[in-house]
Amino acid sequence: MDFQTRKNMKEKMAFGALRLFSFSIIAILFFILGYIVINGISVVSFDFLTKMPEDGMTKGGILPAIIGTLCLMVVSLAIAFPIGVFSGIYLNEYIKDGWFKRFINLMTNNLSGIPSIVFGLFGMQFFVNQLGWGDSIIAGSFTLAILVLPVIIRTTEESLKAVSNTFREAASGLGASKWQTTYSVVLPIGMPNILTGLILSMSRVSGETAPILFTVAAYFLPQLPHSIFDQVMALPYHLYVVATSGNNITESRPIAFGTALVLIFIVLVLNLLANWLRKVLGSKVKMN
Amino acid sequence: MILNKVEAQDLHLWYGDFYALKGINFSIKKNTVAALIGPSGCGKSTFLRVFNRMNDLIDNVSIKGQALIDGKNIYGKELRVDELRKRVGMVFQKPNPFPKSIFENVAFGLRVNGIKHKTYIEERVEKSLQQAALWNEVKDKLNKSAFELSGGQQQRLCIARALAIEPQILLMDEPASALDPISTAKIEDLIYELKQEYTILIVTHNMQQASRVSDTTAFFYLGELIEHDNTKKIFTAPDKMQTQNYVTGRFG
Amino acid sequence: MTHLDSELKQLKESINELFLMVISQLAKSKEALVNLDQDLAREVRANERRVNSYELKIDRDCENIIALFNPVAIDLRFVLASLKINSNLERIGDIAEGIANYVLYLKYEPDHDLLEVSQLVTMFDTSIRILDNVMRAYSQEDTNLARNVFKQDELLDQININATHVIAEYIKNNPDKIHQSLFTISTVRKLERVGDQCKNIAEEIIFYIEAKVLKHKHGK
Repeated sequence: MDFQTRKNMKEKMAFGALRLFSFSIIAILFFILGYIVINGISVVSFDFLTKMPEDGMTKGGILPAIIGTLCLMVVSLAIAFPIGVFSGIYLNEYIKDGWFKRFINLMTNNLSGIPSIVFGLFGMQFFVNQLGWGDSIIAGSFTLAILVLPVIIRTTEESLKAVSNTFREAASGLGASKWQTTYSVVLPIGMPNILTGLILSMSRVSGETAPILFTVAAYFLPQLPHSIFDQVMALPYHLYVVATSGNNITESRPIAFGTALVLIFIVLVLNLLANWLRKVLGSKVKMN
Repeated sequence: MILNKVEAQDLHLWYGDFYALKGINFSIKKNTVAALIGPSGCGKSTFLRVFNRMNDLIDNVSIKGQALIDGKNIYGKELRVDELRKRVGMVFQKPNPFPKSIFENVAFGLRVNGIKHKTYIEERVEKSLQQAALWNEVKDKLNKSAFELSGGQQQRLCIARALAIEPQILLMDEPASALDPISTAKIEDLIYELKQEYTILIVTHNMQQASRVSDTTAFFYLGELIEHDNTKKIFTAPDKMQTQNYVTGRFG
Repeated sequence: MTHLDSELKQLKESINELFLMVISQLAKSKEALVNLDQDLAREVRANERRVNSYELKIDRDCENIIALFNPVAIDLRFVLASLKINSNLERIGDIAEGIANYVLYLKYEPDHDLLEVSQLVTMFDTSIRILDNVMRAYSQEDTNLARNVFKQDELLDQININATHVIAEYIKNNPDKIHQSLFTISTVRKLERVGDQCKNIAEEIIFYIEAKVLKHKHGK
């Protein structure tokens, strides 16, 4: 066998192996998705999405869990987004490299390394008990906000870091102050990436179970919340409940899969939205 | 005696431990174009940025000696940086228009300096775009995004943006290095026109560009100003061997 | 060596080649005149065409270097100097051909007296020596050698100035040799021009090496 033939063969083998591994990832993903869809699609209906759970959660819908999860997403990000973005701006635009910045970065990293159940414990002790908010949307949202804060700070910082320095130089070269520069030049350019980070953290919030376990999530609450001091059901926790500790686990199995399907669907929509935002906004402020 | 418009006296600059400018003595008269040439990392861009204190944005910069505009030390306590920057416009290597409309790009410098008068802003925008030889190409789409312009147009927009605040000095950091030959020629013609009203310092890696646009040429090497003389002299018979080796392309 | 360097080296070799051609032309025209060798004179005339085409080639080379390489500083001065030296050499070639033409028209026996009094041979030898001198100055980039030329040229000037008087005297004594005498005085004038061309070449060499313009300056 001459060199050229061997070279071609090796090329084909390497290419084939790489393709096999890539396809296997897709295969696994589709298998999981397919499994959930097949098992869950039968229960998902208009009623399932708009009705209260019935008969010890073996029948009826999951409306309060959907609403609860949406409430938690909106409130927690309303808390975390401004704090995170402003911290990111401060870290990237205002303070110089040095021990203080390194210290803050180290702390932020540590924060994101803490297991989410620990946040749950903290949230329960501090927000629920100490501040006396009880199990409520506000307590759960604060807990979730702390959880996603590092992600938002990091994405903001990275997005701003990616903005070419010549924009800052050009703006301050025209006599703009630091805030004028940041607000009217740097931030608009970094915004598509920041928003993408925001949406990805929304999908993270929607999926977390541990932090809400002790702070907001209701085992069974067939009514919608009236204020942020109410308890709510949430999709991931509901899933856990119907899958493990319901009155009749076997009978409620389809409901568990239906709930999973809805949760996955929400996450999927958010991810698509993030992609779309990045494209649309990105094309407006593209850096050439 | 004509006062030097831009001048440096025994100017030293460090980035932390790195000794970037080693005692530069330099001066140019009003309404002249000075080209700063030299290999990458020789300090020419750093030197350019001394004159609008752009190095202030970088951490750990320390400066010794004097940098003067119209005979006044621009690192003195009585001078405010934003006042200085109104007098010194800057154009960068890559066209970097802001994510705003063409109009707002040019008006930016006026707005951040607190000017609100609508008709005055409109006048300044039109005048600046005309000076930058861009007005005829954009007058019908002033509200369109600046990113819709071609690279060469974007760079002229950036020049208009710098001119809008009526500076006296223009600093240009390789303004044509990212452009095609035709856009480059336009920028070079523009520099020749702008010389009537401004004093211009231009950093360039393109030797022919330096020889075409400038009145004087300064050759920097390893943080030192090796030679600064009439451009004609530098490109026909420089005094220093290092300068000759550089302009003839025989550098190390 | 950079691409430009090798082009410049080639240009220098071409100019040196032209120097050698022109020196040989001048030497041959001398031999032809002194010995009234018509065949040699015809050879000089034939060679002149080669000199001319070589001059055109060097012209084109210089044009190409300027257009393609945009030489500056010493490189530019070298190309410009070479361009001018090129045309100076071509003129010297013309002079050699002119002398050869005289030989072809001149049907007399060479008159040793006339050669003697006009110092024509000395002039030939001196101008060839000067030419050889500037050639070495050019190829060795030696400005001292180039400066010597101005000194050496004084001898040619002196002979040229004396020649009018000497030839007039000669005609008075030998009225039958007016024709020959007039050719002789023309040759003297031509050789004096060779000296001037060599001085121009020397000035170009000094300009290219030292960036000093010596032209039209007195007391160099």
